[in-house]
Parts: sequence; C-alpha cells; structure tokens
Amino acid sequence: MNWTGAVRTIFVCAILIVLHYTLRPLLAWRASIDFMIVALLLGAVRMRPGAAAAYGFILGLVADSLGVTVFGAAALGMSVVGFAASWLKAVFFADNLALNGFFLFVAKWAFDLIFLAAGSMQGSSDLVMQIFVWSPLAAAVTAVAGVLVLSVLKPLMEARTS
Amino acid sequence: MASPARLSSRVDAGLLAGCVLLSFIAIVIPKEDREPIAAALRQTIVAPLVSLQRGAERWRSAWAASDRQQMVVDSLAMRAVKANALVVENDQLRKLLGLGTRLEWGFIPAEALHSTAPGEGLITTLTLTAGSRAGVQKYSPVVAGEGLVGMVQTADPSMSIAILYTHPSFAASGMTADGATTGIIYPHLGGSGDPYSMEFRGVAMRYNLTPGTVIYTSGVGHTYPRGVVVGTIVQEMKTAEVWTRTYLVRPAVPPSRINSVAILTPQRVTQGTGNVWGATLNTDSATRRIAAAGDSIAKQAALLQEKARQAALDSMKRATIDSVRRSLGAAVIPAADSAAIAAAQRGAQPAPGAAGIPGQTTPVRRDSSRVRRDSLRPDTLRRPRP
Repeated sequence: MNWTGAVRTIFVCAILIVLHYTLRPLLAWRASIDFMIVALLLGAVRMRPGAAAAYGFILGLVADSLGVTVFGAAALGMSVVGFAASWLKAVFFADNLALNGFFLFVAKWAFDLIFLAAGSMQGSSDLVMQIFVWSPLAAAVTAVAGVLVLSVLKPLMEARTS
Repeated sequence: MASPARLSSRVDAGLLAGCVLLSFIAIVIPKEDREPIAAALRQTIVAPLVSLQRGAERWRSAWAASDRQQMVVDSLAMRAVKANALVVENDQLRKLLGLGTRLEWGFIPAEALHSTAPGEGLITTLTLTAGSRAGVQKYSPVVAGEGLVGMVQTADPSMSIAILYTHPSFAASGMTADGATTGIIYPHLGGSGDPYSMEFRGVAMRYNLTPGTVIYTSGVGHTYPRGVVVGTIVQEMKTAEVWTRTYLVRPAVPPSRINSVAILTPQRVTQGTGNVWGATLNTDSATRRIAAAGDSIAKQAALLQEKARQAALDSMKRATIDSVRRSLGAAVIPAADSAAIAAAQRGAQPAPGAAGIPGQTTPVRRDSSRVRRDSLRPDTLRRPRP
C-alpha cells in the first residue's frame, strides 16, 4: 500500500470511527451499527495480519475505554477479527458488494461471540438471546451499513493494495 | 535461515499472540488497576471521541425531549379541540334538554347526521337516528333548542331523512313577534351571501322590518306549529316585487350546530307548542299588554282625579253662593251640579239628569262638603222666625 492509499484508508477509517461515536448514539438502535468493525475490516484487508491484529487491538482498547463491560474483551475480539480478516483477504477481497457484506456480517458476529465469551457478564438465557438474536441482527445491520459506506466511499478507495 | 515470508508470518503470529496476551491481561487484571488505564485513554487519545459521543447523546436527548414535548403539545391541542367540541355538544344537549323540559310531551329526540348530496357543497338534508318505529312521520317538523331546523321527508323504521331549511323544497309561513307582519320563508338559493340564509318573502310594503327582528312560524298550513323561532332579519333584499318586500333571514340554528334535534309529533303540532320558543313573543305581548293596562289605569286615575277636583270646586262654589244668599236673606236654590248651574248661568238647557231641573226625577247626588256643611249649620236654616 502506497502512501496515498494509506492516507485514504486512514481518512476513511477516521470517518467511520467518528460515525461510530456520533451516528450510533444518535440512532440508539437495539441492534446497532458497529462502524468500528467496518473500519477494522477496511483497514485490516490492507495490512499484514500482524499489523491488522495490532490495529484491531488499538481499536478494541478505544472501545473498551468507553464501554462499561469488561476491559480488554473488545481488544481481544478485534485483534482476532482483524488478524483473520487480513489473513483471509485473499479469499474475501473482491469487488463483490454482496461478498463484502457477508464478510462484514461474519466478522461482526465473530467479534460479538468473542466479546461475549470474554466478558461473560450475562446470564445464560440472555447470552443465548444475545448470540442468536441480537448479534445476528446487529451483524446484518452492520453489513448493510458497511456495504453502503463502501459504495459511497468507493471513489476514495479505488487505489487498493495488491 | 528462514525466508522473509516465514519471518513475516512469525512476526504476524507474534503480534497476534502479543495482542491476545495483552487483551487477556487487560481482562484479568483487577478493576482498580485497569481503570487508570481506561481513564488515561479517555483523557488522551479517546477524548475527542468522548466529546463526540457526549454531543451525540445530548442531541438524542434533545430530540427525544422535543418529541415528548411535541407529543405533549399535540395531546394538549387534541384535548383543547375535544374540549371545545364537548363544550359545544354540552351546550346543544343542554338546550335540547331544556327544549325537552319545555315541550314536556309530543316530541322524539334524535341525533342528526349531516349528509351532503353528491355534487353539492350545501347541506340540505339530515339523517335522523329516529324512524317510524319511534313515531316519526312524514312532514313532522324538526326543531332544535334554538329554533326550526326542517321537516321530515322520509321516515324509515329505524331512521328518517329530513330536509333542512336550505333545501329547495323547504317553505314555511312566518311572522314577526307581534303577528302583524306575515310572509313565507324560503331558502336563499343562488343568491349572494351566506348560502345557509333564508328569505322572508311576501311582506306587505307597509311593514318595514329592522335588522334583528325575530321571525317565527305563524302556524298557517299546520306543518309547523305557531311560534317556533326561524331566524332574524338581516336586511331587505332588492327584488322585482312591487307590492311586497323580501328580507334576508339569518337562521336561528346554524347547520354546523345541528347535532341533536327533536321531532315534533303530529298531535303536538296540532295542539301547538305554547311558550317553548315564544319567550320573546310573550315578552313583547306582555309588555304591550302591561303598557296598555298602565295607560288605561292612568287614564282612569286622571279622570277620577278630574271628577273629584270638579266636584270639590262645585261644592265650594255652591257653599259660597249659599252663604252669600243666606247672608242677603235670599232663598236658597236647591243644590245642583256645576253643569246645571253653568247651564243655568249660560241660559241654556241643562244636561239631562241634572238635579234641580223641573221634571227631573233623578235624585240629587250631594257631595260630601254639602252634607258636612248642612250637618254643621242646621239651626240657621230651619230656625223658625219669631
């Protein structure tokens, strides 16, 4: 990834992070859009897996610092998801929006699974409800929002790394 | 020696392992130890995001508060509208209740549903929720607390249809409160002004009605009973009629306020409605009667006073004449009333019935002063001469 591509990626990720802390509280949906996951995947697929893991770790720490759940759970989940996204970018890195959406859906759901498993602050029934109802819904909403964002920012992201 | 690719893989794996390890450490460390780390993050690199999140949450709170306030305002507005409607309905029901109390019998209460014929913007008919099973008959008058509404055109078993005073078929004989001015009330069709007005036609030229004059049904034709308020005169209309006048009449019952009505039965129409709407009518009549009675009493009192005064003057005059005559030794002329004396003095014939006239058989009516004077001076009159 050249410098121009890196700057563009950083800019887009910054926009997504800002959206995560402005639009998401404004909407306040029960199954909310996770713009951090979109930003993570958008950056991770342009990095090496190790860098992607570190990037995910930093994003996770930011999320943990503002959250009320277990500190470090989001960092763990984003590290793993970022590493996996970067490692699997050869498989999923394509110009197919539907595939990108599915990629986002799986990434968000996996992150929620790790986050809930690491946190494990809820009861069993609530945990099952969260894993099988709310997390898939949030993952679907995130996938849709991510696809929209990718479509809108496509001109800005034309220069991709090989 | 490892290839660069394998080295990179090992570096990547190492970074992942390090991140995972650090995450686990962050998870397992006590809350007292991890809170300073989180606070340091919040106060440094995450501070702008915290500010953004706080602003967004404030916006959301303001939005929700605005929505709640709007809902409260809407609810209050709805309640205000309902309250106004309830006030109007309550007023109408009170009037209808008062009408029912005044009518006492011979009426059928009903709800009036406004119906507009297709292609017409004017309400000319009403659907009433009482039908022939309740005693409603065709041509029964429909009234409200304020006055005349219309007439039943069709009476079905459970409902009926009435024509309003705006219907082209509507006509009623009308009169003023004193009954002196009569005419026929028709709907005001096709003219300028309020389409819900009426016309009071056929008024004789000699009657000039002023705006505000109340028009009642006259009872002629026996469709509407006498004395139901129809409306008030607004102004005279310019028509081609030469010998009669036509007036524009504002209805007593606005169409928008016709919700609850009473349908008069034929028996009630035959026997009349009495004073139900005739407060003004009766007041006028009573005022005139009282004024006439007052005038009559005043005239009678003035007449009596004049007679009494004349009688007193006559008595005084007679007493004076008698005294003079007695003092002069002349014979006393029998008492006569002033008219006879005056006639005698004028040398004319006295009025019939006057006392002291030859051939008069009518006993002389002596006034009190004469009697009193006679009773005081009997000796001077009848004392025999020596």
